[in-house]
Amino acid sequence: MEQQELRHWEARCIQEEPPLCRAGCPLGVDGRSFARTMAREDLAGARAILEKTMPLIGIVGRLCEAPCEQYCLRREFGGSIALGGLERLCLSSVPGRGKILRLPARPKKVRILGSGPSSLTVAFDLAKKGYPVVLLHLADGPGAWLRDLPESALPTSVLQEELARLVTLGVTFQPVADLDASLYATDAGDACYIGQDDALTPDLRTMLEAPDPMTFALAGPGLFTGGLCSVGHPYRLITDVSQGREAAVSIDRYLQGASLTASRVPLRHGQTDLFTETKDVAVKMRIVAADPANFTRQEAVAEADRCLDCQCLECVKHCVYLAEYGAYPKTYARRVYNNSAIVKGIHQANRFINSCALCGQCETLCPKNFSMAELCLDARRLMVRENRMPASAHWFALLEMRAAASETALVRHAPDKTSSQVIFFPGCQLAGIRPDQTLRLYARLRELQAETGIWLDCCGAPAHWAGREEEFSQFRDRLAGIWDSMGRPQVLTACSTCLKIFREHLPEITVASVWTLPLTTGAKGVSRPALALTDPCTSRHDPATRQAVRALLTAMGQELAPLAMSGELTECCGFGGLMEGADPALARKVTAARVAQANGVFLTYCAMCRDQLAKTGKPVLHLLDLLFADTTHPADEAPASLSARRAGRRLLKAKSLEELPTDEPWEKLSLTIAAPVAALLEERRILVDDIRQVLFHAAGGGASFEHGADGRRLASARLGEVTFWVEYRLVSESYHIERCWSHRMTIGGGGES
Amino acid sequence: MSLRFLPQDMNWICRPCREPLQPGMVELHYMGNVFKVELPVCPKCGAVLIAEELALGRMLEVEQLLEDK
Ligand code: SF4
Ligand code: SF4
Ligand SMILES: [Zn+2]
Repeated sequence: MEQQELRHWEARCIQEEPPLCRAGCPLGVDGRSFARTMAREDLAGARAILEKTMPLIGIVGRLCEAPCEQYCLRREFGGSIALGGLERLCLSSVPGRGKILRLPARPKKVRILGSGPSSLTVAFDLAKKGYPVVLLHLADGPGAWLRDLPESALPTSVLQEELARLVTLGVTFQPVADLDASLYATDAGDACYIGQDDALTPDLRTMLEAPDPMTFALAGPGLFTGGLCSVGHPYRLITDVSQGREAAVSIDRYLQGASLTASRVPLRHGQTDLFTETKDVAVKMRIVAADPANFTRQEAVAEADRCLDCQCLECVKHCVYLAEYGAYPKTYARRVYNNSAIVKGIHQANRFINSCALCGQCETLCPKNFSMAELCLDARRLMVRENRMPASAHWFALLEMRAAASETALVRHAPDKTSSQVIFFPGCQLAGIRPDQTLRLYARLRELQAETGIWLDCCGAPAHWAGREEEFSQFRDRLAGIWDSMGRPQVLTACSTCLKIFREHLPEITVASVWTLPLTTGAKGVSRPALALTDPCTSRHDPATRQAVRALLTAMGQELAPLAMSGELTECCGFGGLMEGADPALARKVTAARVAQANGVFLTYCAMCRDQLAKTGKPVLHLLDLLFADTTHPADEAPASLSARRAGRRLLKAKSLEELPTDEPWEKLSLTIAAPVAALLEERRILVDDIRQVLFHAAGGGASFEHGADGRRLASARLGEVTFWVEYRLVSESYHIERCWSHRMTIGGGGES
Repeated sequence: MSLRFLPQDMNWICRPCREPLQPGMVELHYMGNVFKVELPVCPKCGAVLIAEELALGRMLEVEQLLEDK
């Protein structure tokens, strides 16, 4: 990934955009963090948040008129969060920390005329940056109209404290008789700010033209002005403070010889790209303070607790995988980028990249269509190209794919036909998991169209998901060749994944889902209570098939139970994107989260989803169980083991050929495998077939050992990329399998030590 | 890297050779890396026994480390 691509990805996730309160604050105060911290009753922490962005905190925090409240998302749901009142309570409850950090002194001098809030802000901001500041004020003392406020609004002691802090920051206060034009004519410093929120003499006032509205610069070099708010203005204080802040930014840029405007972010006035879902927000009324001017601590905490903690996280809220890694796509894009940028050393994000289900739910949910699937798939392809994809990540799925495309593959016209109008492509999962129902469905399809051929194969999705572009494109060419040799019939798939792969990668082939055909036979099936229909994630962008499935169910009189995330928002069953290969525990969590979304029996029209979801013990039906009463499987049937799927595909091929399966020599060995051992095999992805081959090798003189005392035997053989070990006992001609394990390392030369 | 990985139970016999296994240095290879490990070996034919604890323990760890998984 290039830097530029990273920027492009990052820009698409708006989770880091400011919430409305912050966008509505001219000082950019983080109202969200402040309110959340207040709600936790951490008042000192809340004050520290204000101090990050607020100048003259004792004054501004007490007097700010809170324009942010105009924008607050809570507004329509019981009234905006009273951030102004919360700030007041916070500041009057927690004493200041005292010292403020000051940057190293700089040589250029700043002169300020006037001592209103805007001038004090300029002084504060620039003194902090290390500039020596001289502030001229009238003889009665600095503060201008702040001095006229009642004690209850701004205690004199607070004003004095803030002025004293300015002195410690290096501000020199100089009393003058009049704030008039002569003052800056004699000495304007290196830059001069004229604060109009003070009693300037009319001669000075009339000579000031209107400043630039963004930079507050006047035409004269090094001259700035602000504090322009009229006396009765509802946001008088904060407006003047904000003008002082903007002028200070300009003065700093000016003194450093930088452009006043280059890449300067204008005030947002409540504008933000942050999206926050409000459909589940309940109205909660604003806390009414007993003393209207001041919240009590308790009232403030309750008020702060109304804050909605505005965030997007639309994708993260619904995706177990995205939530698992504790952040959101903007930071994930950085993670993926860093992972690609590393040449040597540990690639921390390999597992992260390989765990995405590539299901596309995030893209559908995201207001900006951020696709983690695209990000992760691109990253996987790069890993494969650069030859650093962990060999074990997709190993098993790829083996299964290759076997389904060779050993158990088959294509032929209907038994009594020599051509095919359409050809049935059940997909390797349905074929393996439900061979009997696959044949039943095939029979029904031939009733609808006699010239229906059958094509047992894999669509190549595992190679695609694994990022193996080369293998996938060979796969595609092979499929295209077979289709051509069959006379280019229409392809009917029973698997949403196959359908998607055909549509997106083999556009020359006309393809449809079998579920769009009138499959119902009219035969009366079992009547069942409402079922929770879960759409396969690969049907997300296929509304026609989803509708057709619902139409079939309606025709059969089957009621559906509500399931929140369905249709185009549907969720992955835990198999998608081969996430299981990279992180089996996470895949289990994904599956568990899905079945937890509805009580009662689930229904799906993908064989993989059916068995994946059934792993949790949840009753799950396949659409075929409803369509053909004569081949129904019970909803609580255990999922087919990996070995059973292989055997299922073999059986299906043999039955389609109307032949007995041809036995490999090792298939004659008699094995006994107890249930716990079978479970172990499943978890370790060891097929019964693998065991047979190992034992067969051993019988032919391959590696095999025998325990010196207890009669256990051990056999091992390398099959492809993996060495398998089988521990067994021979009991009257039958192999009793006790344990099996495997490793990927190879054993080289050895010798005695 | 040099590791010693002998199982507690060394009482195993190579079936083809009828020889008891003995500790021996063996090379393990993975992704272009080589490790010398002490394992039970048949003194006659050199057959090596990899016990379950090793395959699913240290060996798996090293495999995953090398894969950056
Ligand atoms: S609800 Fe909270 S985070 Fe959202 S705008 Fe209002 S104060 Fe800010
Ligand atoms: S939905 Fe996700 S990716 Fe999209 S903006 Fe929100 S947090 Fe970012
Ligand atoms: Zn031997």
